Amino acid sequence: MAAPFLEVENLCKHFGELRAVDGASFHVSHDEMVGLIGPNGAGKTTLMRLITGILKPTSGTVRFKGEDITGQDTAKIVNKGIAPTFQVVKPFRHLPVAANVMVSCLCPRAKRRGDWVKTVELRARDALEFCGIADLALEPASVVSHGDLKRLEVARAIATEPELLLLDEPFGGLSPAETELVGKFLRRLHRGGRFGRLHSEGPAMVIVEHKLSDLMKIVDRVIVLSFGQIIAEGTPDEVVRNKEVIEAYIGKEVSSLVS
Amino acid sequence: MGSYLYQLYRGFQGEILAVPGRVIALIFVTLLFLLPLIIPHPIVLKIFSLAAIFAIFAASWDLLSGFTGQLNLGQALFFGVSAYSAALLNIHLGVPPWATIPIGAIAGVIAGLLVGIPALRLRGFYLALVTLAFPIILIGVIFVFPDITGGELGLFGVDRLSGSRVLDYYIILLVATASILVMWKLTDGRSKIVRTGVILHAIREDEITARASGINTVRYKLMVFSISGFFAGVAGGLYVHYIRIAGPSILELFFSFQPIIWTIFGGIVTIYGAVAGVFILYPLVELVRLHPVGETYRFVLMVLILIVVLLFMPQGITRWVRDHIEEICPRCKLINIRTRRYCRACRAPLHAEK
Repeated sequence: MAAPFLEVENLCKHFGELRAVDGASFHVSHDEMVGLIGPNGAGKTTLMRLITGILKPTSGTVRFKGEDITGQDTAKIVNKGIAPTFQVVKPFRHLPVAANVMVSCLCPRAKRRGDWVKTVELRARDALEFCGIADLALEPASVVSHGDLKRLEVARAIATEPELLLLDEPFGGLSPAETELVGKFLRRLHRGGRFGRLHSEGPAMVIVEHKLSDLMKIVDRVIVLSFGQIIAEGTPDEVVRNKEVIEAYIGKEVSSLVS
Repeated sequence: MGSYLYQLYRGFQGEILAVPGRVIALIFVTLLFLLPLIIPHPIVLKIFSLAAIFAIFAASWDLLSGFTGQLNLGQALFFGVSAYSAALLNIHLGVPPWATIPIGAIAGVIAGLLVGIPALRLRGFYLALVTLAFPIILIGVIFVFPDITGGELGLFGVDRLSGSRVLDYYIILLVATASILVMWKLTDGRSKIVRTGVILHAIREDEITARASGINTVRYKLMVFSISGFFAGVAGGLYVHYIRIAGPSILELFFSFQPIIWTIFGGIVTIYGAVAGVFILYPLVELVRLHPVGETYRFVLMVLILIVVLLFMPQGITRWVRDHIEEICPRCKLINIRTRRYCRACRAPLHAEK
């Protein structure tokens, strides 16, 4: 059997006494869209940051395509094929939107994988077009609205041509119409194909999200995190009926009242 | 052949003649090259030679601290390391200037890497404090070996660049123009030839996002430190061969602050701003010095000019001038002269009605 695509084993991150992520183990295969949900402060974002090396784990291992990448430098991990987006948007505010994406197109991985495409500008343009913000390409990122910045984050991530996308609240602060649109294009990206000059092999995705109804429509599998521990795992239908999950979200007594 | 020349002319027209800021720069550089013909006075030549050297120096500080946000208060270290190594090689081993200046620049690169390694861990004020210490350490080292380094008096009798003042001036001016063009291209975010500009901007804006975009920020930071060291080193080598003395005064605090003053005066994060700042402030202060009253009050004058300029043009003088003569097209972001009503490329109205 081939080595699993992404394998997280017993990952822990402690901030002093606080156990933000406490022994999380899961795996993602190369053709999956996985949702990662949990109440506020459950450690979802921390988990994402541990995988991408922005934070160094206290213990545990992360393996990507059979290779141990625990605690490596973020740039190195991105060049191996994992692209993160951030919950709080962090664009290069003084640069034009197109230049924000160009930076990703200039990383070693994108250069190597996309050398049949002549110019960086065109590839950046296609990533923007795919996310539907090509009309803003020349505006500086500081004047762009929050919803568009969220999409810019995704464009920046897919421009590195990842095999695994880690999306941290891609729907955060989007209107219902925008949410549907983004959900659709993520699904389309996952199927893979060629979008202009952008070649997608259908990256696996891990999506952290609070808008559960929208998330459940697009993902294949859901992992539920609570107080740093994984409490449930399964298809969306299974998870929403799971008693533990309901308890984690709305509390024990209420859930007993409901049932 | 004819059509090629015509295209070249059209390119020149579109890229330079249509942009007022570039026209001013072109006129300014042309005037600098004609200066020995217009005013062949030795003092004027000396002032502008030194100004050209300091322009490289200030631009190298802007490249490092302006573009990548690594606040360096010890830029004099690179300048001094190069000046001293050039002077030592020249005096003790008799190496001619055309060899000592590149060697000095390489010494500057090494110094840049030495400062760059702690800079990978430190940021902001902490980095500034560390960089401040480096030139002081070097002064200490110089005082320990007075036999070799000349101690407090410095090294005298370094070879001149060439036999004549005018030739000196032209050598310095050519090197300065080339260095500044290289630095400007390296940092130009819109350049399609060299792509470092956009990456440097990205690192300054948000380092974590830059890393998440797959950019090895460590490598780029070290690269910027060594490039900055290189050009400060070129300036140091030219300086020591022009002024013919290498003394510990070039490692002092004031010498580190000078490029910062010039750059902020001219406009930070624009290589041309640093250059303009030097060419405005330095000759002004030096010309005032020729008068006996000015000699005592020159720094008061400089500080007054600085305060007034920064009060009314907080972004620096070049940005203020640019904002008043240029207008960026709201649609295609092309630079137009302010007097136009419609963009020269896309015909969009430039001044939207209120």
